[in-house]
Amino acid sequence: MMNSMKIPSKRSTLEKKLDKLILALFSVLFCMCLLGAIGSGIFINRKYYYLRFDSSEKQFDPDNRFVVAVLTMFTLITLYSPIIPISLYVSVEMIKFIQSTQFINNDLCMYHAESSTPALARTSNLNEELGQVEYIFSDKTGTLTRNLMEFFKCSIGGEVYGTGVSEIEMGTAQRSGGKIEVQKATNAALEKGFNFDDARLMRGAWRNEPNPDFCKEFFRCLAICHTVLPEGDDSPEKIRYQAASPDEAALVTAAKNFGFFFYKRSPTTIYVRESHVEKMGKVQDVPYEILNVLEFNSTRKRQSVVCCYPDGRLVLYCKGADSVIYERLADGNNDLKRTTREHLEQFGAAGLRTLCLAYRDLSSDSYENWNEKYIQAKSSLRDREKKLDEVAELIEKDLVLIGCTAIEDKLQEGVPACIETLSRAGIKIWVLTGDKLETAINIAYACKLISNNMKQFIISSETDAIREVEDRGDQVELARFMKETVKNELKRCHEEVQQYLCSASGPKLALVIDGKCLMYALDPSLRVMLLNMSLYCSSVVCCRVSPLQKAQVTSLVRKGAQRITLSIGDGANDVSMIQAAHVGVGISGQEGMQAVMASDFAIAQFRFLTDLLLVHGRWSYARICKVVTYFFYKNLTFTLTQFWFTFSTGFSGQRFYDDWFQSLFNVIFTALPVIIIGLFDKDVNAALSKKYPELYKEGIRNTFFKWRVVAAWAFFAIYQSLIFYYFVIASSTSGMNSSGKMFGLWDVSTMAFTCVVVTVNFRLLMMCNTITRWHHISVGGSILAWFIFVFIYSGVVLPKEQENIYFVIYVLMSTLYFYVTLLLVPVAALFCDFVYLGFQRWFFPYDYQIVQEIHRHEPDNSRIGLLEIGNDNLSPDEARSYAIMQLPGQKSKHTGFAFDSPGYESFFASQAGVYVPQKAWDVARRASMRTRPKTPKN
Amino acid sequence: MFVVCDCLLQVITICFAVGTIFIPIGLFSLQVSQSVLEIVDRYDVECVPPSFRSNKLEYIKDSSIPKNCSRYLQVNKHMKAPIYIYYQLDNYYQNHRRYVKSRSDKQLLYGLKYNYTGSCSPEDANNGLPIVPCGLIAWSLFNDTYSFFHGADALKVNRKNIAWESDRNHKFGKHVYPFNFQNGSLIGGALLDPAIPLSDQEDLIVWMRTAALPSFHKLYGRIEEDLHADEILEVKILNNYNTYSFGGRKKLVLSTSSWLGGHNNFIGIAYISIGSSFIFIALVFMLLHVKNPRPYGDTTNISWTWTGISS
Repeated sequence: MMNSMKIPSKRSTLEKKLDKLILALFSVLFCMCLLGAIGSGIFINRKYYYLRFDSSEKQFDPDNRFVVAVLTMFTLITLYSPIIPISLYVSVEMIKFIQSTQFINNDLCMYHAESSTPALARTSNLNEELGQVEYIFSDKTGTLTRNLMEFFKCSIGGEVYGTGVSEIEMGTAQRSGGKIEVQKATNAALEKGFNFDDARLMRGAWRNEPNPDFCKEFFRCLAICHTVLPEGDDSPEKIRYQAASPDEAALVTAAKNFGFFFYKRSPTTIYVRESHVEKMGKVQDVPYEILNVLEFNSTRKRQSVVCCYPDGRLVLYCKGADSVIYERLADGNNDLKRTTREHLEQFGAAGLRTLCLAYRDLSSDSYENWNEKYIQAKSSLRDREKKLDEVAELIEKDLVLIGCTAIEDKLQEGVPACIETLSRAGIKIWVLTGDKLETAINIAYACKLISNNMKQFIISSETDAIREVEDRGDQVELARFMKETVKNELKRCHEEVQQYLCSASGPKLALVIDGKCLMYALDPSLRVMLLNMSLYCSSVVCCRVSPLQKAQVTSLVRKGAQRITLSIGDGANDVSMIQAAHVGVGISGQEGMQAVMASDFAIAQFRFLTDLLLVHGRWSYARICKVVTYFFYKNLTFTLTQFWFTFSTGFSGQRFYDDWFQSLFNVIFTALPVIIIGLFDKDVNAALSKKYPELYKEGIRNTFFKWRVVAAWAFFAIYQSLIFYYFVIASSTSGMNSSGKMFGLWDVSTMAFTCVVVTVNFRLLMMCNTITRWHHISVGGSILAWFIFVFIYSGVVLPKEQENIYFVIYVLMSTLYFYVTLLLVPVAALFCDFVYLGFQRWFFPYDYQIVQEIHRHEPDNSRIGLLEIGNDNLSPDEARSYAIMQLPGQKSKHTGFAFDSPGYESFFASQAGVYVPQKAWDVARRASMRTRPKTPKN
Repeated sequence: MFVVCDCLLQVITICFAVGTIFIPIGLFSLQVSQSVLEIVDRYDVECVPPSFRSNKLEYIKDSSIPKNCSRYLQVNKHMKAPIYIYYQLDNYYQNHRRYVKSRSDKQLLYGLKYNYTGSCSPEDANNGLPIVPCGLIAWSLFNDTYSFFHGADALKVNRKNIAWESDRNHKFGKHVYPFNFQNGSLIGGALLDPAIPLSDQEDLIVWMRTAALPSFHKLYGRIEEDLHADEILEVKILNNYNTYSFGGRKKLVLSTSSWLGGHNNFIGIAYISIGSSFIFIALVFMLLHVKNPRPYGDTTNISWTWTGISS
């Protein structure tokens, strides 16, 4: 709980920039109003006798020009208010909601069939943020790795057992160039948690080993010293172990396989079915009375059990981290200690998690003595934990080392490929882990985060100099010394980095730092140097870090470097990091729900990040940018025509458009197409997005929502509004048809409004990457909606005093002028945009446009192909959705989102009259939402 | 547009297509507009007697001074009937907010039966009685009149059917008669015959379709016979309307008409210039492409170092 923080409410960076844009629009609005107000103050004059300016109405009182200006200011504010796109927020929310619920949650590519877990967007705020992530902070266990612990190797009495080769060893071998024969055991992973094969130990063969007694103690220690609960039948095949951590379950499973089958637990007794102990083939049930359990916690880093054999022998079994066990060993037998230490290092280098096992025989006298103290401590009311720890120290000493275990925590499927893809996309990945330095580096190698041709900087607290100071025991001295060391190290590394940067093609850089050093490096005086240096590194590994430090590192980059960060983790210890980053991603499935509950997005596997970021994130970013800039453009254009009109009305604030036109412009006539673009626009399809991860860099650089882009839109808005206003006005000054009749204000304004609606809708088509029939329907529908509206509106008598628009459209459409202008004005208005887009595309193309060109002849069926490959292992539900995707009539000429988002197929299917059943994962998700019991993690 | 297959060819084709459609339309409408003949005569200054030139306001406000005035117009080319007579006012803000809203469409349609005429203020009532038609627009109705003479013969001017039919039929009541109109101390403009229903008061209907700009034409009537070249027309003007206080100009416009309306070169010129811009851009694109070709999917333009497609 000390590591928990207030839950932040997250808004995307794009939205924050949007706020600035709105603010800019407000100031533009203010300037426009001010200009108009000043103009009205100057204009007002009694000489316009037909306007009857007098003091009866304050706004038109020529004797008090200041009041006139102030009141006109308010009139103008309401008149120009459409410049603020209020409906933008609503539309964007809607788009994002559909994006997350329909596209992200239902993407088959992010559906983990084994655990039946789909991706889950827990917030719809941050979709576009996914398209701009530059830094990923990842937990190791359960995120990069599977958190499926398998007993892999062991060392007993100085002898290594276990023939397997870990994935990381394979990776190491590959990078050193030598090829190793992978003698993959045919029956690898005999069962969950046990992937061990060595004939010397199995089926009682251990009796013939040099140290059978050590082996016996080793197995008993595994079978007795734990807090596991057995569940189900007490036969080796059917039993299931309920353990606090998967490591423990793996160890007990291992004991079972070695012939020490723990099958029953009573409050005071553990029953073990032992084979081959007395002689080969003999099986006996042995009850061990458990006298005390000294539980595991993160400060003790060990766990002990005092048990009494049926023959009265008293033994303390202890297992724990190597450092704490070695401190408590009895003197002597240094050879064994040394060889075991070597084995520990060897296992660590192979990326395995190690535990040391030890035991101690107790005399009944000394035990009774100790037990009294223990009972006292246990019944004390204050500081019980601390006292228990102290008492435990008294008995956990003079231990006899038995050996050590090595458990493999396998990398998740596809992690190295995913990391490589992400780094090609310009994303830098930092691993923050609680593991040891060696393990962390090895995992980093295995994930291709670090490679041999990278320059590595290692800042570690495990140096001889620091250990020496540590041994002296003076904490103040230690802190001072550590700080000094870290500072010097950082300085040295920083200088080296500068040198590498100066040379043109320096190697890529990697930084490895451990928790203790990080504590000092995060000090405000060194923080800047740490940040500068780590930003130059393409990968950073922080090991032995606490949850709080994970969050600190995240906010260091977030706040210090102003880059967009993403944290991904699976456990309770990642919660603060997930909350500290711009985007938090939780791995759902393996370990508890805390991370998922704190996250913004939940995925089942690390490799789904590729889809989440490169496909959904990138699309969402591009789409939202388009929606925002388009809204900005259309509202600015619309309001500016109004603004130009103000100049020729004596700054009186007369409306150019009818009230209803103005209100419905955003709501009906231009609303739907922009939502369609926010949902379906797709520059390149999902497969190409992943094939060319570099396209993602456009999001990191914020290419589509820079001030420059906004300025270009503003320029076109001004140009178009001038065209709308002056073209329509200038062409309406003479008689309008052969009968010589003239147009009035409302005829002209309706003409201009028609041009605006048509142009703005066509401009949207010009910015689409894909034009599907939904675009045609929505754009055509919007224009049609305008005509239908105006036909009805000008055809009926409303209970208003002024019927400005009454019959106007019929008069307009009876003249040829209407059609000539309707052709001229939109084309003239779009001329600049057309030329700009043409030049941009041809001479300064965006990356995605080139990729479009490369693949322009390929039909957009890549996704279907992907599905076919894995067709044989599709679940019935997937098969069904696949079948629905293949429905006739939907495939033809439609290039929209339909094939990329399985969630959308139900929509199209319902269009085709096909019933789509509820998906299995909907149910699964609901089930998984229930909070699982908290499982502590080392 | 650029989407399906983004070829430069497509852009050039679109440009050429637009150009080839627009330029003929432009030429055609320009020619049509040029065929419309117009005679414009500004009379607001000339019609003030020389002695009042320095103080025009006094002249226009003094009702005892006769406002008669004769203008002679030369017809340069043969003008075919019908010839439309417009008056043009400049610097006259019919689109001012106070002016535009000062009317009651309901009253125009239903007459005295409709009581609520608050929007007409300050011309909504006089001496406690409502005014029909109320409001500033009606009050300031234009009241210059024109009569045309060909030598000694008066030319017949048709003043019927000068307003849009929809206005006459739907916006002005057939049984609504002017009431209590221009009875106040301030007379803004023309008087209305209380015996004629509003739907037949076409001058009023034309005037009340307020113009969009401060400079506008309004239809006055039609001359329904041809005017021949080199004829001299005498126009007898009653110069009643006050534009002198705010420096507005008054013009008399005689114009023939075409199926595209009156004399207005703007549409033709706009079509031609937009069309030729498109052609120009198409040429520029072609030239640039010849000098600096870019093959489709040219990876040298891509921002990252291209290493080929790795599977």
